[in-house]
Amino acid sequence: MKFDSKNRRKSATAALLVIVMLLSACGGKQTASQGQTDSGAAPAVQGASAQGGELTYALATSPDTLDPHRTGLAVAVRVIRTIYDSLVVQLPDNTIKPWLATEWTISDDGLSYTFKLRKDVKFQDGTPFNAEAVKFNFDRILDPATKAANAAALLQPYKSSEVIDEYTIKLNLSTPSRAFLGNLSQALLGMVSPTAAKQYGDQLGQHPVGTGPFKFVKWDENADIKVERNPDYAWAPEIVTNTGAPYLDGIDFKIVPEEATRIGSVQSKQVLAAETVPPQNILTLKKDPNFQLLQANTLGLPYTLFFNQERAPWNELKARQAVQLAVDVDAIVKTLYLGTYERAWSPLTPGTFGYDPSLENSVKPDITKANQLLDELGWVKGADGVRTKDGKKLTLHYVDGTPNREKRNDIAVMVQQQLKQIGVDVEVEITKDVRTVVYTNGNYDLYGNSQVNSDPNALYSFYHSYDPKSRPTLPRLASPEVDKWLEEGRVEKDDAKREELYHKIQHYIIDNAVILPIYVFPYTVAASKSVQGLTFDSLGYPLFNDVSLQK
Amino acid sequence: MREAVSAKTVWRERKLAAAAAPKIRKFTASDLFLVAAGLIILFVAACAIVPQWIAPYAPTEMRTDSIMQAPSGAHLFGTDYFGRDIFSVVVYGSRDSLFIGFTSVLVGGLLGGTIGALSGYAGGWIDTAIMRLNDVLMTIPGILLALAIAGALGPSLFNIVLAVAVSSVPGYARVMRAQVLSIKSRTFVKASVSIGASPLSVFWKHVLPNSLSPLLVMAAIGIGTSILTGSGLSFLGLGVLREVPDWGTLLSQGRGYLTAAWWICTFPGLAITAFVLSVNIIGDRLRDHFDPKKVTQR
Amino acid sequence: MLWMVTRRLLTSLLVIIGSLVLVFTILYVLPGDPTDNMVDPSMATPEVIANLRHQLGVDQPFHIQLLHYFGSILQGDFGKSLLNSDPVLPKIAESFPATLALTGASVLVSVTVGLLLGVLSAIHRNGAIDIIARVIGLFGISMPTFWSGILLILIFSITLGWFPAMGSDGWRTLVLPALALGTVGSGFIIRMVRNSMLEVISEQFIVTLRSKGLAERAVMYRHALRNALIPAVTMTGMLIGDMLAGTVVVETVFSRQGIGRIISDAIMAKDLPVVQGVILFSAIIYTLVNLLVDLSYTLIDPRVRRST
Repeated sequence: MKFDSKNRRKSATAALLVIVMLLSACGGKQTASQGQTDSGAAPAVQGASAQGGELTYALATSPDTLDPHRTGLAVAVRVIRTIYDSLVVQLPDNTIKPWLATEWTISDDGLSYTFKLRKDVKFQDGTPFNAEAVKFNFDRILDPATKAANAAALLQPYKSSEVIDEYTIKLNLSTPSRAFLGNLSQALLGMVSPTAAKQYGDQLGQHPVGTGPFKFVKWDENADIKVERNPDYAWAPEIVTNTGAPYLDGIDFKIVPEEATRIGSVQSKQVLAAETVPPQNILTLKKDPNFQLLQANTLGLPYTLFFNQERAPWNELKARQAVQLAVDVDAIVKTLYLGTYERAWSPLTPGTFGYDPSLENSVKPDITKANQLLDELGWVKGADGVRTKDGKKLTLHYVDGTPNREKRNDIAVMVQQQLKQIGVDVEVEITKDVRTVVYTNGNYDLYGNSQVNSDPNALYSFYHSYDPKSRPTLPRLASPEVDKWLEEGRVEKDDAKREELYHKIQHYIIDNAVILPIYVFPYTVAASKSVQGLTFDSLGYPLFNDVSLQK
Repeated sequence: MREAVSAKTVWRERKLAAAAAPKIRKFTASDLFLVAAGLIILFVAACAIVPQWIAPYAPTEMRTDSIMQAPSGAHLFGTDYFGRDIFSVVVYGSRDSLFIGFTSVLVGGLLGGTIGALSGYAGGWIDTAIMRLNDVLMTIPGILLALAIAGALGPSLFNIVLAVAVSSVPGYARVMRAQVLSIKSRTFVKASVSIGASPLSVFWKHVLPNSLSPLLVMAAIGIGTSILTGSGLSFLGLGVLREVPDWGTLLSQGRGYLTAAWWICTFPGLAITAFVLSVNIIGDRLRDHFDPKKVTQR
Repeated sequence: MLWMVTRRLLTSLLVIIGSLVLVFTILYVLPGDPTDNMVDPSMATPEVIANLRHQLGVDQPFHIQLLHYFGSILQGDFGKSLLNSDPVLPKIAESFPATLALTGASVLVSVTVGLLLGVLSAIHRNGAIDIIARVIGLFGISMPTFWSGILLILIFSITLGWFPAMGSDGWRTLVLPALALGTVGSGFIIRMVRNSMLEVISEQFIVTLRSKGLAERAVMYRHALRNALIPAVTMTGMLIGDMLAGTVVVETVFSRQGIGRIISDAIMAKDLPVVQGVILFSAIIYTLVNLLVDLSYTLIDPRVRRST
């Protein structure tokens, strides 16, 4: 076995990288979230040995569609990101940098954004990329016939666009939004070829055409999706090192829903990489010298349990605080995720703009105090250990969805046992129909959710008091203070002031036990050692521009 | 059609068998199976009735400082990812598993049996209508029907039972109808009709008792099938989450740990397999016992 | 006989329409709707969701949706997936070969293993081989397929590396899933073959053959086995239906392409046109297989031909 020095250096870097990542994941220490992304920018790979090859990459579920404007699944975004580019890119430090747009100006009222576009970009079908194409894309998302879903939500408050000249476009908003630029960086607002969109209509998802580093080849239902190198690619954003066409000849995304099979296929080298590795396998693979583990924490809202504040007795601060003190989140995270997931402390995940690290270690389990709080409220423990007041049992209706994604059902089981200690009877309801139970009927005391998002403004749709005519928010919080801060945070131009606003919001939410933050989801990939240069964008989606296969 | 074939052979075999049968039967491997199966079923029944006498720990007790411990003296089957004693969880889990197995057979068998008997005995357009409806149900594979029903009603233990039961109805209906048709054409039934007995009393006194045995055999084996279907639903994401899960749910939730801690799903899996196996052995024996074409030499 | 086939086909048509209506009704009652998987409810506004529901036509009352569906079918249009606008018919056609291959291979495993062990078991009645064969058969029937599937992957692909853990390209990817699914069927066939062999052995003509001094081996293989085959063939026909259902689980475990996975995903997502398409498809296959089995009865066994 002979390695040239370049390769040896590369593998040493990779090994170091993995060690750093695992340390940061295991230590429960707060790192700058996607530390992988910045340190993970692999050394530029040159030479014929690194060129070419096909990466096989096992996905955990099947994408629904490859039309970025229509998809509702994160797994689809992993493929979509390879085919489509966005106007701008968000770096790990939350700054927005050029991608398909070279520069932009924002009007003083924050209502119009003027973008200068790159002039050398072509869609994979030869259609030129220009202002008309951008206008077409955004209008397509607004068009009800497109059946856009999450993309339509992300594009708000977009109103219209004006083509100034071939490579200049002005976007008009109905209200100012500090989140807008960040949203534009998301793959869901990626640029599709107008020619292809017109030709295929609602079938674009089966014939995707973008400007991205990879071109779509074929999609075998439930089996695999193949993409190949786009040789003309020369407009990669700053987040990757290789600005030109990717080193790989192509990527074969295999769809492998069964966890054991997915991990097994990496272990038996049937695929080179597999995503969403469960904690127990992370530990095993970590010991195996043939494999590496890559992790990227996601931005946005961590997995959070929301109290429904409109249901007694959880509308009372002391009752919520009792639960906050009785639920041992550390025990849950350590037991279920074996130290591979970080514990969450705030309504935001570390790394998201405005995250307040001072909340870390602010809550410690204290059963005595929790019991005391419930005593004060007049709930008395009965013979069966369950508290009662005025003949009513102290119950907590805990709703979670199926399937058992990221062991969330197991969290419910653990909370149920932990709350027995303070005499709370937890009824766990696992439902397929979260929409009706939670969002329509509001039949929950505690419900867990998370959201990947590029901007702290994501808090707005969760914690701002809701319009009585509209759908309630999850916590059903109605705090004039929080409302004011959220409204200001949405438009505040000064970053330092904006950060301060979000700190206040986070403190309020934790101090008032509005939620129980549980864990930060790390997107985890297990790969053979030969896979080099896999990095992640700020939302935790994999980037394949720098990937090469070591022979 | 098949009854016509067997009528002659039955007679011939009975005679032959009577001539060949030895006076004292040897204790064979089949008998050994039967005894073992009986013991397993008795033990499982004991687990379901008095789990507290058998399980060393409370099934919900989570010792988070000793998760995923391999089987040992202290934990016969090891501990799971919550730090629960797997042996105790399996012992208590027998309750829900048996509940799924027995109740769904009871519901499915009663429903299917009634429909089949009605159809076969009434005949005419009622028979045609019911059987076409039955065909409709049969064209949809059982697991899919169960999947749709469990999805429609939401995951609760009772709904799983209902889903499994409904998906087994067409099978019972078919068997019962065939049996009733064949009994109806027997001489003794025709005789009692001809001497003026009311159709209801003929049905009640003669047809029903003589038609039940194949249904009982099918039901015995059905207990096993129901538990398997239940675990399949759990695998497909429609399981129930209870404080103490049934075996199917335990197996399906533990399957991701096979390489890290094999004991977590292996023991619930073995519990299912051992129980279903025992039920099948006994069902087989019953089938042989009731089968008119039975061969005495096993 | 031609009349019988025609009549059967006509009733089958009614049955198929019935099953479509039934499934339509069940899915209509099913809580939630396809938009659940298309939008994040904590992100999208109610207006976005309402628009989506309207565009998909799922806000229409039951009878309108039903009429609309059958109207389209009559025009030969099986509709598009609500989730991603995939046309249903090509979707099924694309995945069907893989399911067919899996079912075929599983039946092959069932029949080979079932016949072999069944015959051995009957010949060595109550001997060690009999016990082993029957235990294998019983295990096949008594293990949840998803569990035996995962065990097979653990042993033969992760530990030994003999066969791939997943995929649906080439015969090597077929081996493990066919074993997982086939053992279930072989359990039934072992039992069936053993019983009918024992039955045949006790029949008059075998006794006569034996008394004529024919070698035991010849008696067994040339005469007993041949007569025991008929019920085994019928059994196999019936198994095909069960196997198609079994693919739902096995295709998921081994990440194979196939209609089993399409329909279970579609049921979960309430993607009605897709569910209906697969039900229609499987109902047709079920009907055809049953017709063939009944016809083969008539052809194989002259006694049945006379009685019909």
